[in-house]
Amino acid sequence: MSDDYSIERVKTGIPGLDELIEGGFPLGDTILIAGKAGTGKSILANQFLYRGAIEYSEPGVLVTLEESPEKIKRNMMRFGMDFGKLEEEGMLAIVDLSPSKEATPVSIGEYPSFDLSGLEAIILNHVKRMKAKRVVIDTLSIMAYKFKSRDILREEFFKLTANITRSGCTLLLTSEIPAQNDGLGVFDIEAFLASGVIVLYNEKISETTRSRSVEVLKLRGSKHSSRIHSMRITDEGIRVWPGEISPGV
Amino acid sequence: MSNNDSIEANDEDTRIEIVFFKSDTCAFCPRAEEVLLETIGDFEENTFRLETINVSKNPEKGEEYGVFALPTIMIGGVSVTGIPEPGMIFKMILGAKARQRRGAK
Ligand SMILES: Nc1ncnc2c1ncn2[C@@H]1O[C@H](COP(=O)(O)OP(=O)(O)OP(=O)(O)O)[C@@H](O)[C@H]1O
Ligand SMILES: [Mg+2]
Repeated sequence: MSDDYSIERVKTGIPGLDELIEGGFPLGDTILIAGKAGTGKSILANQFLYRGAIEYSEPGVLVTLEESPEKIKRNMMRFGMDFGKLEEEGMLAIVDLSPSKEATPVSIGEYPSFDLSGLEAIILNHVKRMKAKRVVIDTLSIMAYKFKSRDILREEFFKLTANITRSGCTLLLTSEIPAQNDGLGVFDIEAFLASGVIVLYNEKISETTRSRSVEVLKLRGSKHSSRIHSMRITDEGIRVWPGEISPGV
Repeated sequence: MSNNDSIEANDEDTRIEIVFFKSDTCAFCPRAEEVLLETIGDFEENTFRLETINVSKNPEKGEEYGVFALPTIMIGGVSVTGIPEPGMIFKMILGAKARQRRGAK
């Protein structure tokens, strides 16, 4: 397609990954980062924000629906990524919607007549204030445990992602693939929700070893690699080896 | 509501706290608010302290409470999302009263 040339790219901040996807994520797209538990989804998404702020001066918003901000900061500090400092410098906002919050009421009932307009207002408030270019929602899957009305969630998430990316942000959503599941998450719509899908693996390759890898399942207007590439979590975060085809999977 | 507080033994506010979360765009919010007001209308005046939070206008408040699905009604630390049945609100009020009595000792 000739208009492929006009797609502006956002550097992922993951060494090796940009080479698999023609230079980065398409600007303003919604990208799904799917994988089973412990495959590195949160680290990848957080690294996207961190490197975006440090190397490309792009402010970010991290919406955490699962882990507390304290835990995120502790985890990322192990890779030398100081999220507290980014916050102080006005390059990052952490929106804490984790269940551990004290003021959060205990939900005892749900009727199938609600929307997520509150979530949108909360996120866009920070996006505008920060002039954010990168937004992460970690993780989509927890919504399936918080709410019963799947149909509402599906519809509302389509609206939400559209309204976030319309503001010029590139949005990363993480999705946990349940252990015995062939799809990309708990909603069965994850693949349609996003114009790009990255899948992370950590497969057993022998009795004693596992091997991490990454696959670009789809990406709008991009001639991406269709192979599964080696990936590692190092002391500096996630790194992909574009030339290395994963032995596993 | 009247300010008929004189019968209270101390100045501690014993009213049950209700917070109603809504937004400018939420289609179900007006009906939920009606159900809430009708239900609490059956109780004595001054039983409740009702606060309404419009998350469109006050997103920080929604974030503070971690409430982002609307409408949500919070009564004494528990919440219900969507247009509730009056019976549900009733139950939440009784629960809040019971907890308050236990807590008062
Ligand atoms: N310093 C490190 N070096 C190597 N691996 C690490 C390091 N720190 C964490 N890990 C690995 O990272 C993985 C966790 O990454 P992450 O939290 O991003 O996973 P996730 O996909 O978000 O998991 P979940 O679905 O549970 O949220 C674990 O498997 C852990 O072993
Ligand atoms: Mg995670």
